[in-house]
Amino acid sequence: MGFLGEKDMFCCLPICSFRFTCSRSRGQIRFCSSSRPLSITTTSAPLFLRPLSHNTTSSHLQTFHAWAKSLAFSSNHPDPPHLIRELTWLLQDATSDPHTSFLQLGTTHPIWRVPLRVELKELYVLWKARVEERRPLQYIVGCEHWRDLILVVRDGVLIPRPETEMMVDFVKEIDGSESGLWADLGTGSGAIAVAIGKMLGEDGKVFAVDLSQTAVEVAEINVERYGLKDKVEVRHGSWFEPLEDVVGKLTGVVSNPPYIPSKHIPGLQVEVGKHEPQLALDGGEDGLHHLLHLCEGCLSVLKSGGFFGFETNGDEHSELIAGLMKTRWSGQFRDVKVIADFAGIKRFVTGFKM
Amino acid sequence: MSIECLRILQPIPLHRHNSHSFSFFTSPNVFLRRPKSSISRLMFSDDHSKWAPLLHSVRPATSENQSSVEVGTDAFEWALQDFYALRKDVETSLQRVDEIRASAGLEKLEADFSDLENKSADSLLWDDPSNAQKILLALTEVKDKLKQLSEFKSQVEEAETIVKLTEELDSIDSGLLEEASEIIKYLNKSLDKFELTQLLSGPYDKEGAVITISAGAGGTDAQDWADMLLRMYFRWGEKQKYKTKIVEKSMGEEAGIKSATIELEGNFAYGYISGEKGTHRIVRQSPFNSKGLRQTSFAGVEVMPLLPEESLNVEIPEEDLEISTSRAGGKGGQNVNKIESAVRMLHIPTGVTVRCTEERSQLANRIKALSRLKAKLLVIAEEQRASEIKQIRGDTVKAEWGQQIRNYVFHPYKLVKDVRTSFETSDIASVMDGELDLFIKAYLKHKYTMSMETE
Repeated sequence: MGFLGEKDMFCCLPICSFRFTCSRSRGQIRFCSSSRPLSITTTSAPLFLRPLSHNTTSSHLQTFHAWAKSLAFSSNHPDPPHLIRELTWLLQDATSDPHTSFLQLGTTHPIWRVPLRVELKELYVLWKARVEERRPLQYIVGCEHWRDLILVVRDGVLIPRPETEMMVDFVKEIDGSESGLWADLGTGSGAIAVAIGKMLGEDGKVFAVDLSQTAVEVAEINVERYGLKDKVEVRHGSWFEPLEDVVGKLTGVVSNPPYIPSKHIPGLQVEVGKHEPQLALDGGEDGLHHLLHLCEGCLSVLKSGGFFGFETNGDEHSELIAGLMKTRWSGQFRDVKVIADFAGIKRFVTGFKM
Repeated sequence: MSIECLRILQPIPLHRHNSHSFSFFTSPNVFLRRPKSSISRLMFSDDHSKWAPLLHSVRPATSENQSSVEVGTDAFEWALQDFYALRKDVETSLQRVDEIRASAGLEKLEADFSDLENKSADSLLWDDPSNAQKILLALTEVKDKLKQLSEFKSQVEEAETIVKLTEELDSIDSGLLEEASEIIKYLNKSLDKFELTQLLSGPYDKEGAVITISAGAGGTDAQDWADMLLRMYFRWGEKQKYKTKIVEKSMGEEAGIKSATIELEGNFAYGYISGEKGTHRIVRQSPFNSKGLRQTSFAGVEVMPLLPEESLNVEIPEEDLEISTSRAGGKGGQNVNKIESAVRMLHIPTGVTVRCTEERSQLANRIKALSRLKAKLLVIAEEQRASEIKQIRGDTVKAEWGQQIRNYVFHPYKLVKDVRTSFETSDIASVMDGELDLFIKAYLKHKYTMSMETE
């Protein structure tokens, strides 16, 4: 997170203050028991969870909208129309109106009161950060809509991608998936773990593992928000290390590990390269470092016939891993499949342990 | 109806008929209000004397006995105008009843009726109870329809008789005319209702509607045009008191929109607006044309019913669907952070596609796209029943030349004209402000007539 210089101006903002809150708590947490309360304080809360304690008029919002639009189009952002869609989402989260109808009302009912979750002037600052700093909208509003979930996210946690939504569909299709023991390795915000947790029956359970303490905290928030504390257990540690007690017992292992080759990191889209955690992106020299470790390790944690599903950097990586499973680990996996995402990129490798 | 009433009326004496026979034309009131056709009929009527009392009565007051004449003039003038208006109404209603009876397929209905009656009299009818029920239901329906149609006829004839009697008897009985006017008023209401149920009898007509507008050929001007149409339909929806909301809007680069979707919740929204499906063409001096030249642009409008989730009981096998995202190019996955969760869904057997961009997660877009696709397939299945395959395949609206259903000319003259019905108006401002009812009604009638002809 080496981008504080330009961001000093944000110190006054609630959205920013949680960064300090969490870095402080990070120090304490190591000594805390897991019974520590997981309440989200108002200042660090995602926008959509804050109370509607401010308000403005529809014409003021219309002015903001016009300004924000022109900022988006005059910036050197590669896709201004996309920014406009994000602007709508920012306004959806900042107000209680999913249809942003105040924008249509602005002309006819200029003094219509619109309740807000932040002060109007903060909206200007937030949008400036989005456009000029290229700060991801998800960090600004503190959430990401993913499948049917609204997941809390914040700096230091990878924002779950739409491609990864498919992983949950793979799990859904497996017979008996709802009663098994699952592991989501490198869970980040807890996206996959929460989605699987929601599908599980009485005796099913997911272990959500992450090395990052921030990720562990955020995942716990999301697990609690969906009332899944008895279904999803968040564990802190590297890959298989926290799973020693369930070795050989898992029904399935899923993971979206860091898979971007180190040399590609500097050239990434600004929103990703400058703002998202490298720990969750950097897959080593060839991008396969963690994936290979996962292939190896899942052989020991999975029970016989257990499922695995991994996300990769696409095409050749998926092919390469699928190939290795037939050569290096020949006879240890079956029904290995390479599956494309909706953009047609071979994104996933799935299969079963013999 | 009381004929007695007419008889006891004292005919007004025909005095000074000749010298004043044309004097009523000097009365501007009457002259302006009377329909043209009756002027000529009056002027060239073989029997002028018949109209004499009426003519006389509206003669401008003469100097003698002014006050009493004025009172009398007022009363008669009212009656005369009332009578003319009524006679015109009766004529229109007669024509309307004839049209409705013809377009309802009276002969076919009668044939159906006797056929169904025979069937219902069959001694074996109740051997198949469900079929029997169907027959009896159809019989009641046809019977009701026939009854209604014959009521229309008898009602309008009753009014016509009053008008004729009044003409023949050279006198006005306001009580009778009142009765006729009531009959016509009531009849028109029933005709409206009948027509509406005939015009809006499609299976989804009573549902809400989803209107999708997309800019077609014409660059920025077309995107601006799409935005104008969005406003037009939004205003129309609001005027109809439908719950109207814009659920998706994709902005154009410079101005206007690339596409937008409006949802209208309320009774018969789909029935009314479904005829708007097609290409809408604008001709104007474009503000986006640097030379200020006249330009033509197009926008496509698609309309689907807004069906409640549970009514979409269409099962689409997964292998019939091809789902893709518009996240083309690039490595995707962790490499990109773009909330580009837009989903495009193709129904392979029919080639029908839908796109859903408004939701913030891919799954949510998939669910919404699927329900839109289902609604679309239901509509197509319905159209398939009613029209030819090639028209169904033409379901995707082509927003370009030669495909338009309506032209909106802003320059060099002002005119909105529907290509299908030839209905037109020069009040382009009102149309753009959502005054679409006359266009909609004209189309519904046109559609109804067409369907009757094909049957």
